[in-house]
Amino acid sequence: MKKLLALLLALCMVFALAACGEGGENSGGGDDAASGDTIKVGLIGPITGSNAAYGNAMVEGARLTVREINENGGILGKQVELIEADDRGDATECMNAFNNMVAEGVKYIIGSATSGATAAITGMANEEGVILISPSATADDITTEDDYVFRACFKDSLQGDIAAAWVQQQGITRVGTIECSADTYSSGLVKSFTAACEARGIEVAAAESTATMDAQDFTNQFNSMVSAGVELVYAIYYYDAVGAFLVPQARAAGFDGIIMGADGFDGTLDYISEGTDYSVFSNVVYTNHYDATDSSPVVQEYVTAYEAEYGAMPLCFAALASDCMMMLQTAIETAGSADDAAAVRDALADTSVTYEGVTGTFNLDESGTPVKGAAVIEFVYDSSAGGLEGLGTRLVTTISADEL
Amino acid sequence: MGEFLQTLFVGLRLGSVYALIALGYTMVYGIVRLINFAHGDFIMVGGYTLIFTVPLMTAAGLPAWTAVVIAVAVCALVGVLVELIAYRPVRRKGTNMTALITAVAMSLFLENLAQAIPAIGPNPIIAGQLFASGGVRVAGVTLDYITIYTIAVSAVVMLLLYVFTQKTRLGRAMRCVSEDKGAAVLMGISVNKTVLATFAIGSGLSAAAALMYVAQYPKVYTTMGSLLGLKAFVAAVVGGIGLIPGAMLGGIVIGLVESFSTAYISSSMTDTFVFFILIVVLLLKPAGILGKNVGEKV
Repeated sequence: MKKLLALLLALCMVFALAACGEGGENSGGGDDAASGDTIKVGLIGPITGSNAAYGNAMVEGARLTVREINENGGILGKQVELIEADDRGDATECMNAFNNMVAEGVKYIIGSATSGATAAITGMANEEGVILISPSATADDITTEDDYVFRACFKDSLQGDIAAAWVQQQGITRVGTIECSADTYSSGLVKSFTAACEARGIEVAAAESTATMDAQDFTNQFNSMVSAGVELVYAIYYYDAVGAFLVPQARAAGFDGIIMGADGFDGTLDYISEGTDYSVFSNVVYTNHYDATDSSPVVQEYVTAYEAEYGAMPLCFAALASDCMMMLQTAIETAGSADDAAAVRDALADTSVTYEGVTGTFNLDESGTPVKGAAVIEFVYDSSAGGLEGLGTRLVTTISADEL
Repeated sequence: MGEFLQTLFVGLRLGSVYALIALGYTMVYGIVRLINFAHGDFIMVGGYTLIFTVPLMTAAGLPAWTAVVIAVAVCALVGVLVELIAYRPVRRKGTNMTALITAVAMSLFLENLAQAIPAIGPNPIIAGQLFASGGVRVAGVTLDYITIYTIAVSAVVMLLLYVFTQKTRLGRAMRCVSEDKGAAVLMGISVNKTVLATFAIGSGLSAAAALMYVAQYPKVYTTMGSLLGLKAFVAAVVGGIGLIPGAMLGGIVIGLVESFSTAYISSSMTDTFVFFILIVVLLLKPAGILGKNVGEKV
């Protein structure tokens, strides 16, 4: 018995050590390669946890762009070294990752994916004089307070307004909303959508909520939507809840109107239970930063390179991380030196610079947020293809900021 | 009417799963007076076992749910190991409180161990559909077959457990151990073996709960058992912990409270109401709805 116990304890320790080993590798990227002639760029994202699809896409996108930059001679002749850290989508973990990077002497950080995690480090970035560019934190106040914080995505008030503009174009007059009131992203977006709807004369006839973003049952919420007789429900959740719970339950509750989401829906296709009636996904649309099937040469070149490297279509989070890297490259080159973060900050703060990114051509506004449009994407199910293979997405339209 | 029915059905759907999990809590508590906080994580173990074994079953031409047989075996094994390695040595040396803390530790240990296994990792996995979808339509509202199955499974398990504890030798031994350990030893009952059997059965039940849960909510992740386990524990306490019919009743009550508070009061405060009900029940009937108030022996 004692021997068995000892053996099991030993096994446990091996597992624990293995886990440590893994974590170490992730964050410690290349201690030995760290030297004066590389530019260290940190990347913080939810590489594991329930938003892991976002973080992994960010890592893949950033790696691709860094490799391209390095193959073309680097930035100002210096090679870029990417240091990756995992925040599991959690504010505290994000702060830890940030502090570790600052301690390692990193001056440029790309991250994090979600507004909740990013909001925890924006103030710190300003204090430390570290440039933070978030690929996808869309909450309005991410960039407003701090001079060293920028982003590559639109903000939620614009995203909500674009969604409302699309709703108006469809001639829809009665809508409902479902949000997680405790989440910055979900509640912020629903707030801006509601305001935009009211301004456009669209009636928000029902507003429902859940306690967490991990909610598992949306039946009652959609039940109220059916009773309120709304034509469209604006529901802001992440991909893992959308595919597995939200859409199938909405249809089971008898709601067959349009379900509209936002960029958090990106990645849903990989999180749908096999054997679901896939036709429930028709009439589901979402606003996104870009559409991978866009025929523009910039997008197609990127998608081809990405597919060759990883064998999958890039999620918007990959494209946005690549754009962050591109913005940083442009700014460092304008500043003329990677050693002076303040000069790079000034270059990024110049609102007259036009960036040509994968997710569109844009200028930054005063606060450091791009002024750009959004793509409206819908799910399409081709039953002849059979099974999950038949489910895909299609670009409905793009709406730019100046069309509003 | 339609809305009321729909809310009722959602409540039954949630409640039937809570009931099934609460049975496991109550079973273990009834025998060793230990609140096995790792029970929720046994469901996670069951969930992942299902994810990995369902493809084997479908490849063999069997329906997907038959994978539960393997899941029951795996969960029972994990339960027995947890008892042997963690609970028994602690119970021998420490008090009820130390055993309780060990249970919390085992819960965290299992969650993190699962993350460290490469095939599982920290990212959620979406399970395929385990049963044919569809349901019975009542007044324009659908009651899923899965909900009916879950309630049926809970009821059958409850009955079997009841009969088992009343009629079989092992079941009688369990009741003896539960009532008086010292006397049970004098009667020639092996306490250790009986407790081990309880853990095997209780943990095996969590595999059945995992099957029904994953069939309704197909997202499997390493921390799925924590809140789920907590709510099922509340269900067991509300119904009267240690009592097999109490677990079933408590589960349904908690499910209905959760659903009706979402629909009619505030959907973002559902969990608040669940725990509020716990406090109310504990104040009015400390031993739970079905519990009899017997003074604790000192």
